[in-house]
Parts: sequence; C-alpha cells; structure tokens
Amino acid sequence: MLQVLFNGLVTGAILAPGAIGFTLMFGILRFPNFAIGAYITIGAFAILFFDQVAGWHIALAMLGGIAVTALVVWLTDLVVFRPMRQFPPISLLVVSIALSLILENVIRFIAGNDVRGFDIPLTRPVKLSGLMFTSEQLYLIALAVAAMFAMHAILKFTKLGKAMRATADNFTLAEVRGIDTDKVIAATWLIGGALAGLAGFLAGLDLVIEPLIGWHLTIPVFAAAILGGIGSPYGAMAGAVLVGLAEEMTALWFDPAYKVGVGFVIIAVLLLFRPQGLFGQPEIKK
Amino acid sequence: MLSYLISMTTFVGFFMILALALNLQWGMTGMVNFGIAGFYALGAYTSGLLTVEAGWPFLFGVAAAAVVGLVFGVALSYLSVRLRDDFLAIVTLGFAELVRLFALNEDWLTRGPRGLPIDVRPLSGVFDRDGYAIFYLGIVASAVLIAFLVNERIRRSPYGRAAKAIREDDVVAEVLGKNVLRIRIQIFGLGALYMAVAGALYAHYTQNISPDHFTPVVAIFIWMSVIAGGAGNNKGLLLGAGLVMMFLEGSRFLGEFISFMDAEKASAIRIILIGVLLILVIRFRPQGLMPEERFKGPSEI
Repeated sequence: MLQVLFNGLVTGAILAPGAIGFTLMFGILRFPNFAIGAYITIGAFAILFFDQVAGWHIALAMLGGIAVTALVVWLTDLVVFRPMRQFPPISLLVVSIALSLILENVIRFIAGNDVRGFDIPLTRPVKLSGLMFTSEQLYLIALAVAAMFAMHAILKFTKLGKAMRATADNFTLAEVRGIDTDKVIAATWLIGGALAGLAGFLAGLDLVIEPLIGWHLTIPVFAAAILGGIGSPYGAMAGAVLVGLAEEMTALWFDPAYKVGVGFVIIAVLLLFRPQGLFGQPEIKK
Repeated sequence: MLSYLISMTTFVGFFMILALALNLQWGMTGMVNFGIAGFYALGAYTSGLLTVEAGWPFLFGVAAAAVVGLVFGVALSYLSVRLRDDFLAIVTLGFAELVRLFALNEDWLTRGPRGLPIDVRPLSGVFDRDGYAIFYLGIVASAVLIAFLVNERIRRSPYGRAAKAIREDDVVAEVLGKNVLRIRIQIFGLGALYMAVAGALYAHYTQNISPDHFTPVVAIFIWMSVIAGGAGNNKGLLLGAGLVMMFLEGSRFLGEFISFMDAEKASAIRIILIGVLLILVIRFRPQGLMPEERFKGPSEI
C-alpha cells in the first residue's frame, strides 16, 4: 500500500507542472489549449537533444530544454493564437488540436518514431522498510515540488504574479486598471511553456521518450486541472497528486493499459457532479 | 486507374457520412465532438465481431452498429451535454481514446493490434471483383444520400431551427420553451449513429480493422472537411470531404516522387500540412467555402 501511495506521488509529480501550465493558460486566455501535450513532448525532445547530441550535462540540458520549450510555446502564440485573440473559444480549441498534431509530427519528422531515454546512469532501486524507489524518482518529486514553490512565489510575491492573478480574475477590469495585459499574456505563455518543458523532463525520466509521450499525458493533465478547479494553479497541484494516486490505485485491479481511462472517468464523474472542481468556486454565468 | 478511383470515391463516402454527422452535432447544434474516431471504431468492431464471430448477416451487423452507436452517443451526451463546450471536447476525446485502448488491449475479443479480419460482405458471390467494388460504392453512396436527405430535412424543419437556436444561445432557446437538453441528446445520438454506421460500412469494405485505423487524426480530417466546406452547410461539407481526400491522396503521390523521404516522414508531412491548412482556414475563412444558407422567413421568399 505504501508503495502504491509512493508511485501515485511520482505520477502526480509528473502531471503537476503540465497541469499548472495548462490551468494558467486557461485562466488568462480562456480556452483549453490541447497543445499542452505537444509542448511536453517538445520539452522532452529538446532536453534529449542537449543531453545526447550536444553532450551537455543532464542538469544543464534540462535548463536548456526548458528555455527552448518556453520560447517555442511563446512563438506558437505569436504566430498562431495572437492574431486570433478575439475568436470564439471553440475555434481556438480546434486550432490548438491542429497545432498539437503539427508539433507532434514535426518532432516525428525530425526524430522518427524510435523510443529513447535520457543519458543518465542506471541506478539500482533502493529498498527502505518495504518501499522500493530509485533516486530518479526522488529527484523527480523534488523538482516538481520546487516548481510548485517557485510558481507560488511568482504568483504571490511578484508584481507580475499579482497582474496575472488580476487578469485571470477579470480581464477587462485588469486592463482598465492599467495592467499591461499583453505583457501578462506573454509571461503566461513563457511560464506555461517552461512548466511544460519541466514536465517533459520529468516524464522523460520516468517513461520512454517518443513522439506520443505528451499526448498520453494530455488527458491525465486535463483531469488534474479540472479536478482542481480549472484556472486555479493550487487546485491543479492537488488535482495532479489525486489523479496520480487514482491511476496507481486502479492499476491494482485493472490492466495498467487503462490508466488514461482513469483520467477520463474522473473527468466525466466530476463534471457531472461538481463541474467547478473539488476546490473551485462555482462559475457565475452571466 | 478506374478501380483506384472507385476505391477513393468509396473512402470519400465514409468521410462524407462522418462529416454529415459532425455537421448535425457541431455545425447545426454547436456540440463539439472530438471523439469521432471512437464512434467510428465502435460501429466497425460491433458489426465486424457480430458478423465474424456470431455469424450475423451484413445488414444485421450494420443495424446493430447503428444501435450501439446511438446508445453510446445518447449515454455520453446525457453525461456531458450540460457541460460547457470545451469540456465536451475533452470528454469526447477521452471517450475515443478509451475505445481505442479497449480495442488494443482486449485481445481475446478484438484481436488487438493484429487486427480483426472480416470476410462477411453482402452478395459477395454475385459480382466479380471490379463489379463488386462498384456495387459496394453504390451501398456507401446510398448511405451518404440517406444521411444527406435526413440532414436537409432536419435543417429545414422547425426542429432544425430550434437546434440552430441552441447553437447560437442555449439560454435564449430555453427561455423560448425549447427542450434544450432533449434536442441536444437526440442530435448527438443521431450523429453517433451515423458515425457507427460509417464504421460498419468501412469495416466490411476494408475487411481488416485494427486500432490504428481509429486514431484522433480521423477527427481532424472530418473537422477539416466540415470547416473547409462551411459549417452548417450540408452541401459544403460534401465538397470539403472530397477536397480533404484529394489533398491526402495528392500529397501521398507527391511523397512518392520525393525519394529522400521514407514513408514515416512523408506521413508526418501530410499531417503537418493538414494541420496548417486547418488553422489557415479558421483564421482567414471561418465561414468555409460554402457559408451556411441563411434561413429565409416567409417575407423573404
């Protein structure tokens, strides 16, 4: 049982940065960006490139990959989404799905379908009073927790974070009060992209790296964001851990191949009974 | 060459049925469905398994697929049509992934990734090879025609106008006394039925189905057909489906000329191009090639 809880924590740690990134973008831009999975894939492959082709140290490769992902994600806004800012959310949603196919296949075109992994020394699992874990898993959790604290600090203590929260709350009011919403939007894409890049690293540590790595995470990431109340970064963190736990627990009874199904069932049940998420406030419809 | 054309036209037929279904759900009623591949697969496997394993005749298999599509469509929409549009997109996408995972992992039933061979076909002894291809094209074309006529009938009816009112503003439709929930579930179910029938026809045509025929890319092709043709316009999407197929096939030929690309790279390029085109259409011509016809009130006729 302890083992299952630990595994759930690891899965939650992989999902958390992606879910926070997704929910941040949703809060400001008001449409669900399906390309989040493709962003995660870009992160994994960018880090893989720095790690294996450029031969950097893995920590440096991670930082490089995160920077590249943030830039690519911001570029997708400049090229694709920015000219369509006034379009209805559904159009943007369709566009984001098309974009995710484009990005995924660009990676497939360059790197092929081969399965890869980061160039890190294999470590023997450590056994501690019945609990088996690898040192990568500990790094993974530590990194996810660090990202959450960083995110918290940005949102709480910086001017930018304050502006982001205000813009997410009420876009027009924020604009009227003199907040530079263009800057807030750009920052949202960059931060969301950086989080996706980190998610790519974490996913790459635990899973094999292939062009669909991010796609497989899309539905659990959505589930985490919705579970936590979409648009709420803190909810997304909690949601990620809960989805991770649910996935590992159900794997006790069902074929683990259906992990994606767990996320789907969570979304369906939750939307039925508590559409605002576990921790969210009900949305007032005007 | 002729047999190639016939086979391509048959494939366009499957696209057209799927596109007509999406036009009911999204074009007319405004419900986002990204789970097209799920209903398509459901129909294909239902009819395939019932005819191969249980020995049902072709027509019964297709009818069973229609029923299964309807049941799943109604169930899924009952769960989720009250949601905001973007959540419906996520739920339907998750549903399609779940269907695909089921087909992939339940080896004992679906034969998993190896694919399910289907040798049952209607009147298979009557025609020779070429004649049969034309006969089957006839079946698919009739299905397209029926779906098209039903769609047009709905579009012109008061019921269709109520659906369009829901698309524009569901609160207003509700205030005007329309039963929004019921109309949404009915339309979504009917669309799911179309998709399942298309899947069944596809299964008996290709005679081998496997989970990788039913990836989310299918949804993109169909969305492209409907958006390019003109959402809400039943004639436009027929044109759209034809154009998408022409593009897919044309780019395949082009891929054969460019020798430095292997099949994997060529297929990646095709999907990239489709994605770029879809984004360009949404940005520069959101109403499509044939915009929706406006409803003419009595005074305008």
